[in-house]
Amino acid sequence: MNGGGSGGPDRDPSGTAAKATAPDPAKGPPAAARWLDHDWLLVRDEPRAPTLQMALDEVLVNEVGRGRRRPTLRFWEWTANAVVLGRFQSVRNEVDLAGAERHGMTVVRRVTGGGAMFVEPHNAITYSLYAPESLVKGMSFIDSYAFLDTWVIDALRALGVEAEYRPINDISSSQGKIGGAAQTRRAGAVLHHVTMAYDMDPAKMLQVLRVGREKLSDKGSVSANKRVTPLKQQTRLPREQIITLLAETFRERYGATPALLTPRELAGAERLVTTKFATDEWLYMLP
Amino acid sequence: MTRHGEFKTPGGKLVVADVAVADGRLAEVAVTGDFFLEPAEALADIVAALLGAPATASATDLAERIEAGLRPGAELIGFDATAVATAVRRAVADDMPRQIADQAGA
Repeated sequence: MNGGGSGGPDRDPSGTAAKATAPDPAKGPPAAARWLDHDWLLVRDEPRAPTLQMALDEVLVNEVGRGRRRPTLRFWEWTANAVVLGRFQSVRNEVDLAGAERHGMTVVRRVTGGGAMFVEPHNAITYSLYAPESLVKGMSFIDSYAFLDTWVIDALRALGVEAEYRPINDISSSQGKIGGAAQTRRAGAVLHHVTMAYDMDPAKMLQVLRVGREKLSDKGSVSANKRVTPLKQQTRLPREQIITLLAETFRERYGATPALLTPRELAGAERLVTTKFATDEWLYMLP
Repeated sequence: MTRHGEFKTPGGKLVVADVAVADGRLAEVAVTGDFFLEPAEALADIVAALLGAPATASATDLAERIEAGLRPGAELIGFDATAVATAVRRAVADDMPRQIADQAGA
């Protein structure tokens, strides 16, 4: 089922994946063949603490880069509320720390760039792709964002959500922003992760996240164009059911074997929490 | 006194510069925001290129410094050297002490 790894440049991908909405890369094999050339694992992970999630992303992308783990799609579950800052964001510019404490939000910094995410365990749908760089070979960063989330856009459309990709990294709909992606490449592998809003409490979010002066000046259009419209409101489906549908869409298109994280990976991630992701040196590297 | 400047790129990414000026030069520089940069370590190249620059340097001059200082293969995604330079220019022109800016921006 996984497999068909022989798709060369002259192969005509006639399945549904051929209708990919991502820009067709000029170089390299067709979109569907790129995915089918990789032998995927699918991890429906158990709930993890925010700092451990950050560490797992680093460990798993490195493991895939070293060839010690097959390409993997991991759906996250959370044990705690979190503000997840982008790699290059300033804590004080983005977070009201008193507000974060009041609402029991752990503030963590991830390894990828992009903007702050406001996460409550039952309100977010998050996944990571860990793949060899061959999956996006020859693509610009910007093209690869849309390419890597095409299956999600199509799955959301199947649910009746008019989802679309807004470059660089927004998943949007006619009713507002749904979520955002972020990516980094290291050691021959790409990490691409996405957080979508399943439900949200905008008042609480505004008590925790700051909106910078420059963004505030644009607030009118943020409200109009980037207003977040959660999936619960758009689909009226339970969160679990949406995650299952996303996983099924991926499996049907690209093939994927259910899998778990290994004890060695988890131990490595726990060590990284202690030495990096839970340290002030990491969180406050950009105070 | 740290000064604060922001620039929003046409694509929507925010670039923030927090700088301190001493003896007419940029003595402290922090560049932050929701942009993407590969490799992440290249942020240090940007900061190093700005440190010591004259506070009167134009955005064009600052952008040239940044581009000259970037390691080979560095990629700025969602922003560019001019966006950083513009945020720095705005910071240098900003006379509002940081603590007040915090309250105004909160």
